[in-house]
Amino acid sequence: MKNNETKGFAVNRRQLLVGTGALSLSSLLFPRNASAATGGILRVRSYSDLQVLDPAFMMSQSDQDIMQAIFTKLVARPAGDEWTWAPGDVESIEQLDEKTIAFKLRDQLGFTDGFGQVTADDVKFSFERIADPATGSAYAGDWAVLKEVEVKDTLSGVIHLTGPFAPLWTTTLPGSSGLIVSRKALAEVGGKITTKPVGQSGPYIMKEWQPKQRTVLVKNPDWKYEQGAYDEIHILPIEDEKTAEMGYEAGDLDYTWTAVSSIKRLKENPPADTTVIEKPSLAFVWLGMKNTTAPLDNQNVRRAIQHAIDTAAVVDAAYYGAASTATGIIAPGLSGHRDANLFAYDPDKARELLAAEGAEGITVTLDILNKTERLTAAQVIQANLADVGINCEIRQHDSGTFWNLGGAEADPNFPLQLYLSRFSMYPDPSWATAWFTTEQIGQWNWEHFSSEEFDELNKAGQLELDEAKRDEMYKRMQDIMEESGQYVFLTHEVVGVEYRNSVAPAIMPNAMPLFDKFKPA
Amino acid sequence: MSEQASIKPAALRARSFPGLAALRKILREPMGFFGLALVVLILASAIFADLLAMYDPTKIAPQNRFQGPSLTHLLGTDHLGRDLLSRVLYGARIALLVALGSTALSLMLGIVLGLMAGYGPRWLDAFLLLVFDAMKSFPTIMLALTIVTLAGPSMVSVVMVVVMVSVPGYARIIRTQTIAMKTAEHVTAARSMGAGTIRILRVHILPNIIGPIVILASMDVPVVIGIEAGLSFLGLGVRPPTPSWGTILNDGFANIRDSSWIVIAGGLPIILTTLGFTFLGETLRDVFDPRLKGR
Repeated sequence: MKNNETKGFAVNRRQLLVGTGALSLSSLLFPRNASAATGGILRVRSYSDLQVLDPAFMMSQSDQDIMQAIFTKLVARPAGDEWTWAPGDVESIEQLDEKTIAFKLRDQLGFTDGFGQVTADDVKFSFERIADPATGSAYAGDWAVLKEVEVKDTLSGVIHLTGPFAPLWTTTLPGSSGLIVSRKALAEVGGKITTKPVGQSGPYIMKEWQPKQRTVLVKNPDWKYEQGAYDEIHILPIEDEKTAEMGYEAGDLDYTWTAVSSIKRLKENPPADTTVIEKPSLAFVWLGMKNTTAPLDNQNVRRAIQHAIDTAAVVDAAYYGAASTATGIIAPGLSGHRDANLFAYDPDKARELLAAEGAEGITVTLDILNKTERLTAAQVIQANLADVGINCEIRQHDSGTFWNLGGAEADPNFPLQLYLSRFSMYPDPSWATAWFTTEQIGQWNWEHFSSEEFDELNKAGQLELDEAKRDEMYKRMQDIMEESGQYVFLTHEVVGVEYRNSVAPAIMPNAMPLFDKFKPA
Repeated sequence: MSEQASIKPAALRARSFPGLAALRKILREPMGFFGLALVVLILASAIFADLLAMYDPTKIAPQNRFQGPSLTHLLGTDHLGRDLLSRVLYGARIALLVALGSTALSLMLGIVLGLMAGYGPRWLDAFLLLVFDAMKSFPTIMLALTIVTLAGPSMVSVVMVVVMVSVPGYARIIRTQTIAMKTAEHVTAARSMGAGTIRILRVHILPNIIGPIVILASMDVPVVIGIEAGLSFLGLGVRPPTPSWGTILNDGFANIRDSSWIVIAGGLPIILTTLGFTFLGETLRDVFDPRLKGR
């Protein structure tokens, strides 16, 4: 029982309380030095723990942030406010014509763990592996038009495409599908990297991973080119932005994304020695509905839910007015951005539809990530649904559980119905639609949305180079998604970033970080 | 107090109203008075939440978020514009329901299993002890996280966690006391007169050992409230939008830079309830079982 006293170390409860109180008081009076950027260690936060460090099977942006520092690439994405590309770890790379790209690797790139030099054959292996349907990569679409990679000599090769490919230089080559892994290393680990990377080849290598605590990247001792500025990069997985903000204030972090709802307050009143910036985000947040089980197998019920949700209220409540509502999955400024949604907030219409289907009083579940903004949004959705007579149970999950609810590793018996999700986005509309094809069912298409017209447009959109035509195609694709009743588009968010003035962060236009390029200011 | 009652001799009064006498003893101690007052306050706010709350605790109004205390919202509003006082009052229901319900359930199970282990055959005793010790060896939080992951977050899961954590402790105490009592003369006498096992346990053993365990259980109530609030804080307890002190505290933690009232609204009732039950429990112990004093 709790009242037992330990003999020999006789402290009674009151003494213990006094002691604890004194300790916590002293920690308030004498806080630790708030600056964390010392000794060549950069401490940054990622919004989820690493899950799969394999370009063909990665799960989240957090995986990609690590992978792009530990693997070589043909094309890099420079930091800055413009979406451009730059040559990566190559002597040269050039597009010879619409279907041919020639490259020559730098000659002193090596894989760790004794897997030798990075060669054109490894490039061939890396790209063809993702494109090969037998691999089962969710990112096969990135290389949908890859014919083959021809190896000219040890370092040179030519990428042959079957046709022109619009997203090649915007998302495929500079993204995770353009990263190079070692053929030998992959053969040794059975064809797939999980949480322990093998054959690392970037400016940094992963030294240790303490699940849910931190990932430590250190400078690659064999790296012969431009050196990273920090000796070590500690990546702390903190799911909730508001928790991360407190971690930052406590001095545990040098760089973090903030909660969208905090941006205004932080800009007006930033913590000491801190820069706060706001960036537009291309990401998209939506409410998805899986259509395989009752009552959501009924399109009219799904339509009623679309009409029941006051997206403006949801977004305002979750982000305290800092973000605007979305009209689809493609953000303003990209081709394919729609001007309006098809099914607006109309609770009367929702009630009518439910009454016609005899579906009043149904209960649905809403699965969300366990973080403040999602929970707030979910509670407004819950209230909206209650208003039209639908009971909604909210279920919170940590990121590891959540991201496996509908994917390849999902428990087939898990009754997924409604869920809130957010996908990161690159500046090409095809990166938004690629996840909702029939092929992606069981990967990223958790809704089990399936439309032949959509699938064909998705393929055609990647090959179309005429911007006006692409614009029409992607608009139509979002119409099809919305007509299915399986989507309520919520917002593209914005991104708030706070960092110490002692750090010069390297971030892309949408505030995605390039950790290996961070420097002391 | 009626005139008639007040002229009765003290001894007689105590015999006719044993509860009243106990109450007097408790009230005479300042700590007991304070504890009892707090417990009554919390109980009343839980029972009369319907009458006391001015708003629906789940009614959201985002345009009213982060209001400070005012005449319209006595404790202010949270990030969804919900009235905090109403949420605190309804939160008391959840807290007490879980705390009293699961403590009572654990107590019942603990007593039955403890009597079985203490009075039953050696092999049963050994087996039950093994089970108790195995269950006690799980750290509470780990056990809670596992159960909630397996069963999903809900009030039932919270109760399950509390029962699994508390039963072994209660059962072990009951078992030890039963063993001590087993060879007492009045038990031997009852047995020699042919009393059955159930009757011996019910009439001759249980009444003699139940006092301390009830006091210990009453002192565990705040611990259970802490477990419920803790799990709800982590998003593993009661589901939204049901108000719980733990979820209010979590809302407050997430928005502490925007409004400090939410943390106060979530934290204050937890502190008051813990103090109330602890003081009451300690006074009960001092009054009824001086042997436990100082433990």
